[in-house]
Amino acid sequence: MVMSASPNDDHRPSTGRYLNQSKIQSALDHAQELGASYAEVRLMAITDSSVALRDAKLERAIPGQEVGVTLRILADGAWGVHSTTDLVSLPSQIESTVRLAKAVAARRSSKDAPVQLAEVPIFEDEIHWKSKKDVRHTDLQTKIEHLKTLHDSAADDDRIISVTCGWSDEHLHTELMTSEGMNRTWSFQRSLINASVTGRDGGEVVSYRTRHGGEGGLEVIESCDLGQLGEVARIATLRLLKAERAPSGKMPLIADRDLTGVYIHEALGHPCEADLVAAGDSCLDGKLGQTIGNEIVTVVDDPTIRGGYGAHPIDDEGLNTREKCLIKNGVLTEYLNHRETAHHFGLAPNAGARAQDGLHHPLVRMSNTLIQGGTHNDMDELMEDIEYGVYACGSRGGQVDTGRGSFQFAAQEAWLIENGELTRPLKDVSVSGLTLQILKDVDGLTRDAQLAAPGFCGKGQTVPVGDGGPIMRISQALVG
Amino acid sequence: MLPDDAVDRIAEGCRQIGALCKSQGIEQWEVVATQSYGHSIDIEAGKISLAAGGGEGGYGVRVVEDGRFGYAYLVDLSSAEYALKQARDIAKASPSVAGFVLPSEQPAEKVGGLFDTNILNIGPEDLLEQADAVLSEVASLDQRAVVTGGGLGVGASAGAIYTSEGIESSGVTTSHGIGVQVSIDANDELTSSYEGDSSRKRLEQVPDCVAVAVDWAQKTRGPIEVNTEAHDTPVLMTSEGFSPLFSMVVPSAVRGDRLVRSESFWSGKQGEMVLANDLSLIDDGRMEGGKSASARDGEGVPTRRQTLVENGRLIGSLWSTRDAAQQVAEGRIEHAQTNGCAVRGGHQSPPYTGCSDLHMTSTRTGSSQDALLERMEDGYIVHSVMGAHTANPTSGDFSVTSSTLLRVEGGEILGPVKQAGLSGNLAKALSEEVYLGDDVRVQGSYSSGAMHLPDVLLMQGLRINPA
Repeated sequence: MVMSASPNDDHRPSTGRYLNQSKIQSALDHAQELGASYAEVRLMAITDSSVALRDAKLERAIPGQEVGVTLRILADGAWGVHSTTDLVSLPSQIESTVRLAKAVAARRSSKDAPVQLAEVPIFEDEIHWKSKKDVRHTDLQTKIEHLKTLHDSAADDDRIISVTCGWSDEHLHTELMTSEGMNRTWSFQRSLINASVTGRDGGEVVSYRTRHGGEGGLEVIESCDLGQLGEVARIATLRLLKAERAPSGKMPLIADRDLTGVYIHEALGHPCEADLVAAGDSCLDGKLGQTIGNEIVTVVDDPTIRGGYGAHPIDDEGLNTREKCLIKNGVLTEYLNHRETAHHFGLAPNAGARAQDGLHHPLVRMSNTLIQGGTHNDMDELMEDIEYGVYACGSRGGQVDTGRGSFQFAAQEAWLIENGELTRPLKDVSVSGLTLQILKDVDGLTRDAQLAAPGFCGKGQTVPVGDGGPIMRISQALVG
Repeated sequence: MLPDDAVDRIAEGCRQIGALCKSQGIEQWEVVATQSYGHSIDIEAGKISLAAGGGEGGYGVRVVEDGRFGYAYLVDLSSAEYALKQARDIAKASPSVAGFVLPSEQPAEKVGGLFDTNILNIGPEDLLEQADAVLSEVASLDQRAVVTGGGLGVGASAGAIYTSEGIESSGVTTSHGIGVQVSIDANDELTSSYEGDSSRKRLEQVPDCVAVAVDWAQKTRGPIEVNTEAHDTPVLMTSEGFSPLFSMVVPSAVRGDRLVRSESFWSGKQGEMVLANDLSLIDDGRMEGGKSASARDGEGVPTRRQTLVENGRLIGSLWSTRDAAQQVAEGRIEHAQTNGCAVRGGHQSPPYTGCSDLHMTSTRTGSSQDALLERMEDGYIVHSVMGAHTANPTSGDFSVTSSTLLRVEGGEILGPVKQAGLSGNLAKALSEEVYLGDDVRVQGSYSSGAMHLPDVLLMQGLRINPA
């Protein structure tokens, strides 16, 4: 039922590779003999662990190892895919997967073009982003101590009734072999720590979440002042207990880095994904080269930012990752694409393919997405001419309807701005809008752009992402 | 699709790991295994874009020694010894929960309707034909309409559990699902709607949700102007629009551990009125054909049908073995025990407390949509929301956005509204004047379990903020 692989110290076979290269090469050759124009085998082995502390006590710790492999075949201009945890069985799936692709192709209407892939450089190499402190060598006690530091700081008030702290780390090892001769292996790590704090005062119950993490090993967690992270969460929770419900209506909005990141991820990043554009499900269809935002808005998606939660050295089609500039001074300059959509739109491939794990095929995805800095010195400068508005910070997540171009994101906490000053704390603030309108309404950005808290993006598959930017002002936003 | 010996193979794997546990003298242990197989079709831009198949699975092992538990999972039986070592090491670092022992064997009656041989016989070609039928249906309903995303799939999943306390159970479930994003892009206006359906039984070749998706993409075209002042208003939420919010907020509120830890908005209200006095909440772990139903829960305890809220009064809660023992040991509650509500996220997760097939019912007869609109008089129909996952399960507060809503005046639908914010507190809204529709539909959820909900008219407690 499952693959044969024995764990050793670093949970990898002694050869360092899971795929038997000669067998896989034969399988790929066989696929071509059967009529495949392209075939690939991508394996992903994930060694991970998660730990949860509830009220300072170990709630659970789960170490695990997952290995999945996906065979993807392009035949007669259509895709057939087979995914399995049974690595040994893969070569026997070649014929059926070619048949599957051809069956899809047979149903293609004459008006639909066959799938073709953009040309890419072929590599045979290994790239390993080494962590300074390998998470696979971090023992449970060390993780618990870090979680306790976060907990103790977050829980230090009688009105805090519960604190749940979580840790997750993963070592990701990918092998890709294609019929074009691509043969790459790459690896990197991610680490994350988080806390969920619940406060109660009389009948009022509130919660607040905080996170820190990024690409890398234990050093990612050690770089964070966990005591301060917990303190910020505790103070925010206590403030929410006294906060008022947010006003509703259109008003100026200032967003902190977290929310700026979620905003740009939802409002712009998703509609820029070329698979959605090609599917007719993006409000940015046909708008390349057009001005869609204020000239102060420049947005990049950059998987090469080491330390960002969405960082990765190679995309899941084997391309070296690079920065993509989605908007330059308000002009839509680039879609995120993979090889299929790059060919479809006649664009250069920009390494936007990501898969959740070895059992999923790659889709066009974001990585680390951020608005670049502007000209305002600080938040006070952004706020000084706002008579009545909202400053919102911390993200509870967001969502977008890419076709309609409407989006929503929610803040963890907020303040009312009155006459250029922060006055009363608010809760349950959400912001919604239309992509093509609100990009024009961004009218102020502070100078310093940085990635904010790590996040996860769902699009049928879940992948880690980094988002961020400077502090941002939107002249008119629908606050609810 | 499913190998004939799939269940036997994973059951045998569980026994092998169990034997290893015995040989190591582990006090209590529990081995679970899952193995799923399936086919799927992706649809993009009005055509089939990909066909896929495959299978995945693995084992999870929980060890309990002196009230301490550890867990590890694996994909390869040859690494079982290593996984057991990890689980035991974790158990040693875990706090001892007095009274926590794994559940003992109790007879469990089979639940019907969880397996359909017809699904096993669906091959990739059958799915491709079904996808073609769906695409044709959409085009025939509206030539402008295109399935811009979605797909369909079938699956069979074998599962097994084997424990030191004599539980030995295995079985197979099947599923057939579809989801379609239908868009109409014409005259410089793009509208869309996502609808889905899934079942343990084989679905119709073209399920009703396909026509519903086309219908909502059509009827949200040509938005009308409305008063953009934020205001409190009655809202009729369709089952599809209501379920994401409900599933974020309500299932966690009836978890026993959250109730006794003051983490639920219903904490301290056991025996008190928490919903409108005609409403009840029932979790039916034994529902025939239920999406989350089964004979045993995630740790082998027989499931049951249980009323959590009866005629508005909170009378029950959900418990799994460890949560119950821990809350008793920590003195938050005098007595608690599992009531068969342990759920799992596959072999990679130890059991935790959650609901199964959750129903909200009313002692009143359900109303047609026309009758609900007549009662509402002025307000909105909301069919989908964005941002339901940002709702606060601790407080019940939410603030979401909808682009799939209709304005109602005098009980008549006036037309669609382009976009609006919708906010309120779901616990409060459900405790006031609520009317249910007469057509219960099953929806997926953001939490564990399946939600069985009709359309819900909330007369108070919601605020709308049209763009």
